[in-house]
Amino acid sequence: MRLNPVTPELQQRHRRTGWLLALVGAVLLIGSPYLPWAWSDDALDDMTYLFGPSPTQFLGLALGAVLLVCLLAPRLLARVLAGRRARWFAFADGAKAAALGALVFVAVVVVGIAVELGGLVNVRYGGWIALVAALLAVAGTMLLPRDRPATLGGVRSPGWLVISTIAVVMLVTLLLVAYALDEDDPVIFVALLAFVAGVVAVLLKLGVGPWFSSQTARHRGVLVASAFLVAFAFPFTQDGSEANMSIATQVLIFAATALGLNIVVGLAGLLDLGYIAFLGAGAFVAAILSGSAFSAVGWNPPFIVTVLISGVVASLLGLIIGSPTLRVSGDYLAIVTLAFGEIFRLVMINLDGSDGPDLTNGSNGIPGVPDLDLLGFDFGEPHVLLGVEIGRFANYYFLLLLVIALIMVVFANLNRSRIGRGWVAIREDEKAAEAMGVNVFGLKLFAFAGGAFLAGVAGAVRAHHDISVTPDQYIFLESAFLLAAVVLGGMGTIVGVLLGAVLLRLMPEKLRFVDEYRLLIFGALLVLMMRFRPEGLVASRRRQLEFHEDDEELADKVDPTVTRAEGAR
Amino acid sequence: MDVTLFLQQLVNGLTLGSLFALIAVGYTVVYGIIQLINFAHGEIFMVGAFGALSTWIVIGRAQITAWWMLPLMILGAMGVAVLTALVMERLAYRPLRNAPRLAPLITAIGISVFLQEVVRLFYGLIPGFPDAKAPVPFPAVQGVSGGALDLGGVVLQRAAIFTLVALVVSWTFLYFFVNRTRIGRAMQATSQDPDTARLMGIDVDRIIMVAFALGAALAALAGIAHGLQYTNIDFRMGFLAGLKAFTAAVLGGIGNINGAVVGGLLLGLVEVMATAYIPGTFGGSAWKDVWAFALLILVLVFRPQGLLGAKVVDRA
Repeated sequence: MRLNPVTPELQQRHRRTGWLLALVGAVLLIGSPYLPWAWSDDALDDMTYLFGPSPTQFLGLALGAVLLVCLLAPRLLARVLAGRRARWFAFADGAKAAALGALVFVAVVVVGIAVELGGLVNVRYGGWIALVAALLAVAGTMLLPRDRPATLGGVRSPGWLVISTIAVVMLVTLLLVAYALDEDDPVIFVALLAFVAGVVAVLLKLGVGPWFSSQTARHRGVLVASAFLVAFAFPFTQDGSEANMSIATQVLIFAATALGLNIVVGLAGLLDLGYIAFLGAGAFVAAILSGSAFSAVGWNPPFIVTVLISGVVASLLGLIIGSPTLRVSGDYLAIVTLAFGEIFRLVMINLDGSDGPDLTNGSNGIPGVPDLDLLGFDFGEPHVLLGVEIGRFANYYFLLLLVIALIMVVFANLNRSRIGRGWVAIREDEKAAEAMGVNVFGLKLFAFAGGAFLAGVAGAVRAHHDISVTPDQYIFLESAFLLAAVVLGGMGTIVGVLLGAVLLRLMPEKLRFVDEYRLLIFGALLVLMMRFRPEGLVASRRRQLEFHEDDEELADKVDPTVTRAEGAR
Repeated sequence: MDVTLFLQQLVNGLTLGSLFALIAVGYTVVYGIIQLINFAHGEIFMVGAFGALSTWIVIGRAQITAWWMLPLMILGAMGVAVLTALVMERLAYRPLRNAPRLAPLITAIGISVFLQEVVRLFYGLIPGFPDAKAPVPFPAVQGVSGGALDLGGVVLQRAAIFTLVALVVSWTFLYFFVNRTRIGRAMQATSQDPDTARLMGIDVDRIIMVAFALGAALAALAGIAHGLQYTNIDFRMGFLAGLKAFTAAVLGGIGNINGAVVGGLLLGLVEVMATAYIPGTFGGSAWKDVWAFALLILVLVFRPQGLLGAKVVDRA
């Protein structure tokens, strides 16, 4: 078969057809929410009214509007965006992302209506029109030629603009999280997720995303502080309700542990498959020293001391397991840590008094761990702060925020220090690093034991939060989940791992109907991520380069001096 | 010391060890050629056991237990296991061949969880097949199930004889295959230097597939042996068995086929003897897995290249 060559005329014609198709799609997408989508108001929210869009339908309208803006902006703003500014935004790429996002969103909603009401017949004409509109938009935008990458990322903007953007982004995030968590309907939750993903994709493609990340790099302090402010403000949006706070604290415990693992896997490149055992070690130490009636040890030190002991015990275990294995291949480390995780669980089960000395109460674990009491502040009691009741979980939430802040400070400082650079060198080429005088074994051991210490600290808090500590909370699958959070989000980044942890813990809570298939999806996800995006959702540039060694363009972005020097030779 | 008891433990240890050895060969053959720890190999063993059960259900509608079912079950098990291993290699591992070393290991965990879940969720959905969410009874087959042999106080289960014979036959077969056939010699060449082997006209991709297939076939045998010995199989059985077999492979020297067999037998003996002879509270079956893994760590400390491995392990 002979293909016709792509001439400029052909491209021009396709561009025009595509633009028109996409425009029709966008207008229909904006119009369709005013039509009824479903026959019954039992599905999702109430989508049965003519000229009365439901909140979910509004999201579809918003995506349509975003698409319309992307399509019309190059023409309407031609005068403003002239000259050097012409390449600030990549509108065609933005339109492609918006159309795809709209398609996913509408498909989720239509399938959701069909599932919740029992069959596609329950979808009314409005839903079908929206689906056709999204298909038209996708087909149309596919005909548009790809833009050159947007240059907005390189534009310097005044500080007030950046800081107010940060404030707006944080506020939107807070409202969005509060709204999403209040959503009980799993389909709406998924649709909301699709909407957010679509908008984020548009912003990234358009050039606003790169602008945000490059500008905020100059105001990192403001960004981090405001992110914490938002996280701190979250319990106040819950109005004393404990249901969401319980989920939120679980997410934070998971995130804190994943961040610790991120130091070991992401920075130092040591695959630790038994990380959960260090969390467990911290939890058991804290439970044993908590003064629980089921603890075999009578000593009950203050929590500050307990936390330190938990961390030290965990890192000692890390030293014991790390010192022999870190000398040999990285693969061995993975399997030995896996074996260690099993040994830990079995030993905790066996130390029940009949198979070994009584320390952990066997497979029943240690129940009745009392609530924390820090400097007279009882974590079990609700408190009233600024007129809002702060319940038990919210108390732990604040404490966990502190723990996460601690881990992030450790992470960021290590990453930028001599130690962090040593880790990167080891991760990329151990022999070369050793030849350059990096203390390979020492640094590896430090990463391993340090990661274990952080896990131990997180475990100590978890013991009090969970009230009971049992060996079956610390199985291999939990380690695999932690690893998945790190891999999914992006190894070696803080934001990515936080995102991965939130997604992996929040999804099962909100999507109860996939509970049965959770592990299946999880396994497939790991394989697919490694195959198609090994650097994770939020990739650090350097990491991305490690997985795509042949990409010259990327290499140039990471370190322009290297490729230029090579080009000069 | 009671000699009969000791001999009995020896037999038990060798039986358990043969099972480990059959699986360990799969780790070692693949590692020897592409330095990949195929962590999902334990799941191939599990899939093999389910393949045998499926063959029995499909052919033996009338619950046949005649001796000729055994070869058919072996064929069925090997077919399913080899197919799974080849698909896994093609779709998941091959695209990652030049990726950083973390990537295939993470993929392997994904495959492992995925295969377990596929069996757990979907095996029972096939008409006529039992639900695999709980342990499934494994059929008894004439000749290798039933009455044990009594050799002067030492009891020898028929399934144990099957396991031992399976190991001896496979080992002999492997010896001739690796040393006497063209493909076997190509495998040796590839393991020594894949690039040069390719220059010599060896299809390295094909050799890698052969390695996966060999490992899978032996793991399938082990799956049947496991089913016959314990009369139950379940979707989780690959995890611990795989971990132990890997320990055995490291013990003997990973990459070395004889090492895997020796390591497997030794690990089986250590586990059984530790259960029988360690006195006090740390003895007994509750601690046997702990001792097995402790052995792995000890080997890595004092002899990382394994008992029969000559090559010093220096891959990062």
